[in-house]
Amino acid sequence: MKRRYLDYILALVVILSLNFFLPRLMPGDPLTAIYGDALLDMSPELQAQLAERYGLEGTLGEQFITYVTNLLRGDLGYSYYFGAPVTEVILEALPWTLLLVGSSLLISTFIGVLIGIESGWRHGGRLDSFLIVAVMFLNGIPSFFMGILLLLFLSFQLHLFPLSGAVTPFSGYTGMALVMDILRHLFLPCLALTLVQIPRNFLLMRNSMIGVIRTPYILTAQGKGLKERVIQYRHAARGALLPIITRLGMSIGLLFTGVLFIETVFAYPGTGYIFYLALGKHDFPMVQGTLFFITLFVLAANFLTDVISAKIDPRLREHAYQLLDRT
Amino acid sequence: MLDINNLKVTFDTRMGEVNVLNQVSLKIAPGERVGIIGESGSGKTTLALSIMGLVQGQVQGSIKYRGEELLDKREEDWEKIRSKKISMVFQNTGEMLNPVYTLLDQVMEPYLKVNPGKKKEAFNRASNLLKKVGLREDHFYAYPFTLSGGEVQRGLIAMALINDPELLILDEPTSALDALTRAELIRLLDEIAQNKTILVISHDLSTVIKLTRRTAVLYAGSIMETGPTESLLREPKHPYSRALVRAYPTRTTVKDLQGIRGEFPSLVEPPSGCPFHPRCTQALEKCSQEKPCLVEAEEGALACHRGGIITLLRGENLVRRFPRQGKEGKEIYFNAVDGAGVTLKEGEILALVGESGSGKTTLAHILAGINQPTEGKVYFQDREIYSLKGREKKDLRRRLQILFQNPQEAVSHRMMVHDLVEEPLEIQGIGDKETRVQGVKEALGLVGLPGDSFFLHKYPHELSGGELQRVTIARALVMKPKVLIADEPSASLDASVQAKMLKLLMHLQNEQGFALFLITHDLALAGKVGDRVAVMFLGKIVEEGPTSEVFRFPLHPYTELLLDMAPSLEREVPSLRRTVKLKEEEGKGCPYYAHCPYSTELCSREEPPLKEKGFQRVACHRAAALEKKNNNNSYYKEIKKVL
Repeated sequence: MKRRYLDYILALVVILSLNFFLPRLMPGDPLTAIYGDALLDMSPELQAQLAERYGLEGTLGEQFITYVTNLLRGDLGYSYYFGAPVTEVILEALPWTLLLVGSSLLISTFIGVLIGIESGWRHGGRLDSFLIVAVMFLNGIPSFFMGILLLLFLSFQLHLFPLSGAVTPFSGYTGMALVMDILRHLFLPCLALTLVQIPRNFLLMRNSMIGVIRTPYILTAQGKGLKERVIQYRHAARGALLPIITRLGMSIGLLFTGVLFIETVFAYPGTGYIFYLALGKHDFPMVQGTLFFITLFVLAANFLTDVISAKIDPRLREHAYQLLDRT
Repeated sequence: MLDINNLKVTFDTRMGEVNVLNQVSLKIAPGERVGIIGESGSGKTTLALSIMGLVQGQVQGSIKYRGEELLDKREEDWEKIRSKKISMVFQNTGEMLNPVYTLLDQVMEPYLKVNPGKKKEAFNRASNLLKKVGLREDHFYAYPFTLSGGEVQRGLIAMALINDPELLILDEPTSALDALTRAELIRLLDEIAQNKTILVISHDLSTVIKLTRRTAVLYAGSIMETGPTESLLREPKHPYSRALVRAYPTRTTVKDLQGIRGEFPSLVEPPSGCPFHPRCTQALEKCSQEKPCLVEAEEGALACHRGGIITLLRGENLVRRFPRQGKEGKEIYFNAVDGAGVTLKEGEILALVGESGSGKTTLAHILAGINQPTEGKVYFQDREIYSLKGREKKDLRRRLQILFQNPQEAVSHRMMVHDLVEEPLEIQGIGDKETRVQGVKEALGLVGLPGDSFFLHKYPHELSGGELQRVTIARALVMKPKVLIADEPSASLDASVQAKMLKLLMHLQNEQGFALFLITHDLALAGKVGDRVAVMFLGKIVEEGPTSEVFRFPLHPYTELLLDMAPSLEREVPSLRRTVKLKEEEGKGCPYYAHCPYSTELCSREEPPLKEKGFQRVACHRAAALEKKNNNNSYYKEIKKVL
């Protein structure tokens, strides 16, 4: 496991360095890279102030130290579009994204895995053929289009759900009413994201199941006189789950970018929406800050995946690693 | 208990329908121990899976378990049969245990399914069984991938036993295990089998003979032979069974290993008729047209149109008397061959050993049909050869070929290689000039000689001894004989050329499928080449039997002596001192009496007849004494103690 920690620390250092060096490696000075044309409109005093703020004074080594210390203090710079420190803006948007990403991730994984198990267990059967067609159809729809469709039918025409936002503004809801309001706003973006996520989970789980079904230990389980359900879930699905969990970590990263479209379509005030706004306004500190946060989340998610995988599959535990290395 | 009737299993594949099992019928009585042997691909595992209701293909026929038809069962019914009534230990092909659960959990699982909630009981039973199969407590909580192959196999056996089934199917329980682990497992399974019915499927004959009492031989989905395991494996009746046994090395195997000639047949387009006929050395036209039925025979059953391995050549009570000049010009007679009998079976190598002057060559000439015996008869496929005339006699000459002792003397030095090899074809009037030349080239190719014009036009004196010997072999093979009698084919050759010559002969015997009667004075050589060995002394066969048996447990004092004097790389000078005793009456009693260290008074009076003893035949009054001596051999005793 020690080796794993080291891997993560290394990855973090590389990302931090990239974040530091990339703007400085670009042609011209970093401020131009960060602010672009906006810099020309600034007074020399302001430019100097900005240079100081970004630690652009002194040698490259000194600058790096300033950059790292700023990071450690949680200072990612100042967003001139939002008129607030980047960290503050992100921390405000983050809970919404987490709620959206978390809920859709849970639901889509659960459904995808479940139908994947059933489909894979009886692959080639009727249910399987139907599910494959249905899921492939679903897979062909991009997330933002799905969002627009849902918005059009369920909100605009049937008025079942609100059109945008995460809460009804100035409603003064509290307690249960507030929760219901949040859920009502959450439903559509979450559904859109979930529907888009299901095919990947389904296809992976189905494939993984088909692979596991052919392993000898399933034959052993059958020979033991166990019930079919027991073989299907306790013996086959448990082993087949591993790739899903590995993928979960990766899909979190994908979700944070995928959520960008959905949040934009539904004007949902999460990091994706902020990112979209900042990008449009060339608010580079904001963009860099958001990307940095997403990176941190992806790393954290991957780490968590590793821990969970080891819990589920004893082969991946530390002593097993050595065993595998030897063979 | 189990009654399989006309079981047929087919799979639909991309290549077409595959017939894995074909009209397989097998009965297993309660408490019986039955084995199934056969090459891989013969359908052994499919048979077992059919009994467990786990086979994927289409199943026809009937499998009755205690009168209940198993093939009609639905999946829910199977849950109540598997593990509780019939349990199977699958062949361990890796990953037989789920890698994400501990061994103990998996062993307990079937018990908990039958007795839900009884965790304590399940634990006790599982841990007792795991201990019984020889696992330690630290194995219980281990994940399967941290266990060795032998440990997993033990775990699987414990798992199969947890619900105390009546019928236990063991699929290759010992394959891929080292000898010691295998021995331990065999003992364990033997113990378990005491109060169970077991069906053992294996290509490991040593496991089958130890665990089972009755065995069926499966080939390409058909049962070829059934019978008591021991006699089936020691004296197989079906050519396939014999080929299977011949390919299996044991500790006592002395003969070089030989695979089964030809390739395993395709199951998509199985051979017509008997599935074994393309590889069989005694196949007739009928064998390729009609599938033989499994017919009850003696203690077992046999599926062969020819009634099993046939006897090709049989000599009975052969005597050959020669005149010899005696004292004062008087003519006296002596018997070079004196009452010897020999049988040569289809596709086997029989080695005849004995010191010079024992009558080996005379016997060979008698059997080859070129020296009429004074008494006795020689049969080739049940026809007495010396009474044959005309066409039939010519035919016999073609199918019965002999290699003479000295190749230099066996060829005309005025003929070129081509003429030497072609001559028999010409005499027999086979083919026209062109096909004959082709035949000559083929025969030369078989013995590894060039068929170019340069070589074909060489004279015998231009060839080396080894080359000339090969030419004589080619001359015999050009006739495609059924029997080849080889009289000391390698006596004049150095060890290396001799090795090549005998390897060639064995290879040709296996590929061409003729029977070889090899005469040699070298017992070590006989052991390397012969399936069976016959020992000749003063014109009589004194001992005969499977090579491995004769070499391990010689029953005749003369064989023992020959074995002791066989070539070895030991520095010790042989301390051979033949005792010479005088008999009271000349011409009576055992011929070996004069030299025998074990002789009794009986030996001087009565000549011992050739009697069966186990799988050997021996002509000795004192064979029992020698047998006892063999059994007391401390070396074998120690091994038995360890296992």
